[in-house]
Amino acid sequence: MKSKDYFTKLGKDLNRQKSIYLLLFIPIVVYFIFKYIPIWNAQIAFRNFKSVRYGILGSTWVGLDNFKEFVNSYYFWTLIRNTLMYSFGKIIFSLPLSIMLAIAIYECRVKWLRKTVQTLSYLPHFLSWVIMYGIILSLFSPSDGIVNDIIKMTGGKAVDFLTNAKAFPWLVIFSDAWKEMGWSAIIFIAALMGIDVSLFEAAMVEGANSWQRVKYITLPAIRPVIVTVLLLKLGTIFEAGFGQIFMLYSPAVYSVGDIIDTWVYRQGLLDGRFGLATAAGLFKGFIGMLLLFASNYFSKKVSESSLF
Amino acid sequence: MKTKRIMMTVLLSLLALSFVFAEGQAETKTDNGLTHIEMWYNATQTEVGPLPDDWVGYDILRDEFGIELEAYSLPSNTDDQEVKIRAAMAADELPDFFVASRAAFLDLVKAGMVADVTDCYALMPERTAIMFDQDAINFTTIDGRSYGFGTPSVIVKNEGLVIRKDWLDNLGLEIPTTIDELYDVMYAFTYNDPDGNGKNDTYGFGAFIETGSGHEIYPGRRFQPLLGAFASEGTWDMSADNFGLQVRQPEYYDFMVVLKKMMETGVIDPTWMAYKKDDFRAAWKQGKFGIFREQNSALHSENNYAPFDKNFPEGELIVIDPPVGPNGDSSVGPAVRGLRIWCVSADAAAEGKLEKICEMFEWMGAGEGYILCGWGQEGINFYYDEAGIPVSLDTDAQLGFGQAVGQTYIQLRSMAFNYASDLELVSRYPSYNAPTSGKPMSSLETLYDMQSRKWTMTNGQDSMPLPTTDLKTFYEQGIAEFLTGKRELTKDNWTKWVAELDKMGATAWEAEGKAYAEANSYLI
Amino acid sequence: MGKKKTTESVAVRLTAADRTFNVIINTIMGILLFIIALPLWSTITLSFRPADFIGTYIEGMFMAPWNWSFDAYKSLLGNNGFLLAFTNSLKILVYGVAVALLLTIPIAYGLSIKDLRGKKFLTIYIIIPYVFNVGIVPTYILIAKAGLTNNLASVFLPTCISTYNCLIMRSFFEGIPGELRESASIDGCSEFQTLVKIMLPLSKAIIMTIGLYYGVQFWNDYFRPMLYLTKDYLRPLPILLRNILLAAGMNEFVEANAFGNAPVEAIKAASVFMSAIPMVIAYPFIQKYFTKGTLAGSVKG
Repeated sequence: MKSKDYFTKLGKDLNRQKSIYLLLFIPIVVYFIFKYIPIWNAQIAFRNFKSVRYGILGSTWVGLDNFKEFVNSYYFWTLIRNTLMYSFGKIIFSLPLSIMLAIAIYECRVKWLRKTVQTLSYLPHFLSWVIMYGIILSLFSPSDGIVNDIIKMTGGKAVDFLTNAKAFPWLVIFSDAWKEMGWSAIIFIAALMGIDVSLFEAAMVEGANSWQRVKYITLPAIRPVIVTVLLLKLGTIFEAGFGQIFMLYSPAVYSVGDIIDTWVYRQGLLDGRFGLATAAGLFKGFIGMLLLFASNYFSKKVSESSLF
Repeated sequence: MKTKRIMMTVLLSLLALSFVFAEGQAETKTDNGLTHIEMWYNATQTEVGPLPDDWVGYDILRDEFGIELEAYSLPSNTDDQEVKIRAAMAADELPDFFVASRAAFLDLVKAGMVADVTDCYALMPERTAIMFDQDAINFTTIDGRSYGFGTPSVIVKNEGLVIRKDWLDNLGLEIPTTIDELYDVMYAFTYNDPDGNGKNDTYGFGAFIETGSGHEIYPGRRFQPLLGAFASEGTWDMSADNFGLQVRQPEYYDFMVVLKKMMETGVIDPTWMAYKKDDFRAAWKQGKFGIFREQNSALHSENNYAPFDKNFPEGELIVIDPPVGPNGDSSVGPAVRGLRIWCVSADAAAEGKLEKICEMFEWMGAGEGYILCGWGQEGINFYYDEAGIPVSLDTDAQLGFGQAVGQTYIQLRSMAFNYASDLELVSRYPSYNAPTSGKPMSSLETLYDMQSRKWTMTNGQDSMPLPTTDLKTFYEQGIAEFLTGKRELTKDNWTKWVAELDKMGATAWEAEGKAYAEANSYLI
Repeated sequence: MGKKKTTESVAVRLTAADRTFNVIINTIMGILLFIIALPLWSTITLSFRPADFIGTYIEGMFMAPWNWSFDAYKSLLGNNGFLLAFTNSLKILVYGVAVALLLTIPIAYGLSIKDLRGKKFLTIYIIIPYVFNVGIVPTYILIAKAGLTNNLASVFLPTCISTYNCLIMRSFFEGIPGELRESASIDGCSEFQTLVKIMLPLSKAIIMTIGLYYGVQFWNDYFRPMLYLTKDYLRPLPILLRNILLAAGMNEFVEANAFGNAPVEAIKAASVFMSAIPMVIAYPFIQKYFTKGTLAGSVKG
């Protein structure tokens, strides 16, 4: 009897919401075509794939060979460590910075300052890493970089920031924070705009000061967005920023600069080893998936905000 | 309900539209009796725009050869080209006729996706006489059959070790000949204010990391003249009795010691590890360092020399002999031919297009087609001077081959040029007077000068097997870390590192290289 | 606007804590302005740098405007292929954003309905491909089989539903008070009508923002067009800009000068502003929708 109730209710619900299913139909189909068919094609990770000319199913099944090659690479653990170092580093530095920027813009009472910062802060996003490299070089080059000129003027010895394994990670994380901070803040600014202003009035009547307002009204209001962004970033934890690293790194800093994606680019793409490249992608996805589910579960328990 | 239906219609039609709106899609291939050839080529200058539709070559090919040519340029950067060809191979989207790197070519042959062209050389007598000697044919031959055309892509030996003559004169120094003298000059250039501006802002030597296709492994091309002094130029020692990786030679360690000393005493611009090509070139134009290896055109062509001339009207950059090392060795570097491989797809051959492709390629290699691809039409894009050399016309419509519009008409130059004939060289490198100082200049003279210096002639060094990615990473990282001081450079550490290199697969790589070199008789 | 005035008039009674707060906020903003504006300014001046400029980077930043050279912009805008590439990019942008929003909004809206059957399934359905980035070739095989190569749509279709954007938009829809939806359904609106009549007008800011995210992504995409579009005349702006950049650094192969007198660095810098065009034009319009308390007003009104 119970199951019958269930189906009646299901039928009722479906009927009530049929317009929404109709609306969802096309996006779901498009998504299936452009996302799930490539995932089906991704079985080349398990094959000795050269060309689709002989069919995907026509290339020899090699099982986990591609995965093994990746996992058995001499640099496997270095790659994992570096990749995680950069992606976590970026989450730890960039995310709070962009939230802070959004709140600062929202709270700033000096109109011209607010307007100027809001209009300028997203622009660095458009500086490609080629240009960023030029700027970084002009700041940190050991021969005539501005920072090194200052160090030399104060009697120090020039530091090779770009080729020094100790300085390089910081350079990567901070240059990324600088470039993307304003861009990622846009989403938080949009969220802040939705806050009901009457809440602030009520808070002021009750004598809350600015700090308390930020703590009890502003931050909780944008928490769902922060959680969403954070969880989504955790799901792609192995994407540490290929474009940036590829531009900045050099053999002298391979030990701290080489990430999974740069390795895959050199080993997989340039050599046409697409099975290997795809295997690395699936590997990254598998771990990312576990992490996403775990953190989603955790987040649901702790903060009641979650993706699903 | 009504709005819903409207919404759905809008959604659907937009989606449909997005599929359909593409231009040039699904061209109807009418059966006009012409042979349709799609070709991917290396453009002379990708950025100036594609070969125009009204290019007269299209008409000639159609009317005289029955060929309907569709020519598209490849991306301008070699890595992107590599990925593009590899991906097209994977998706089975290769055109009929295209350029590929040797590594991609080898995979294409293995996958059976390029046609056997062994019998095509006979169809192209003129082009074969000009560019397909036995070495060039060997380059594309696998198990006795040739699967592509190895055509020249660069002028051989067009680089040299360059020094600031005016700095030498300012300091009253002689042109250095040995590696020790070179070091002393570098030292003087760094600390004795050679430009006399009262600032300590110059360095002796300048470089950046530029690694070539297998034959110039890290630290790469710009260090070859220094490596040459220790008989360690190139990736491989190609001699029959002592074949092997250069890094294994005892002299290589001596080179490392010298380079390390250069870094420690600060006579080399310390940014060399971080410079990209543009930065390096901007740096010497601003007089940051006085000794470097450079290419003739990048050094002395009018456009490239002008900023330097403006900055230093008194400046003079001369080519010198590579320094002589303790054992009397010297070399600018390994000279390789730098062939590019033209492939015919297996599909094109199956459709019977091979013969037509050869006809077209032959036409572009000599005579009318050669001139048309290389310089355009006489009287429209160029004229012949008294010596019979094509010179760019100066027209209002910008049609001269050196002008904005005219440049698009010579996009297929790389299909025609042999990169060696006087006609090409003289036309490419005209003499001029430097814009600021008025000095007479010629990058052609510079080229001849560079070619006359001591190079190491090695055939096939650029087609030797490549190391695995992990081995290459280990190799590059190791050398870089010895230089930055992350690893201490001592004989012990060096030996240990070489032993580790072997464990990473250097021995296997060497064996593979030896087998390949022997099979192709590349050993000297 | 009236709302804001009240906030500010209330804020006249500042406590010490409030004052410190304002000082700190303003200091942060000042520092940010400095660290953001400085490199931007240096890039701007770099793009105006004449070929014969000698001097340090800092000197370049304070070059007098009358010494500026427009050669870099001339060589970019005067490029034969510029107009064509720009048109192609514009087509990709307009069609791409339209398609992307039409596909993203329904998903985001569907996911924001609390009691939607199959919601969890749908969320996971869109998350799996987001996490599993299978790389270029599996997608290229699809594009090739579908006959989409050399079709501008191939640039945006594979990425026209971004999971990230869907979920961000969803959390905004969820932020819209439930009472609004309920009142709509009491009035007899279907879910679809609720979306069109209630949700969309209230979500202009986020729709604009997401549209912008999509637009910038399509506008700046280099890799996809490089692979999927072979024909020269279909190529969008990022490919042309990259060709120009690389060519500027390849002077050993090219004797004729395609760039007038502009130095490489200037061309690089100028190309940045080219790639930022849509954003620079669109953002001020979008900022108009960024008004405080948009939702609150609607609930009361």
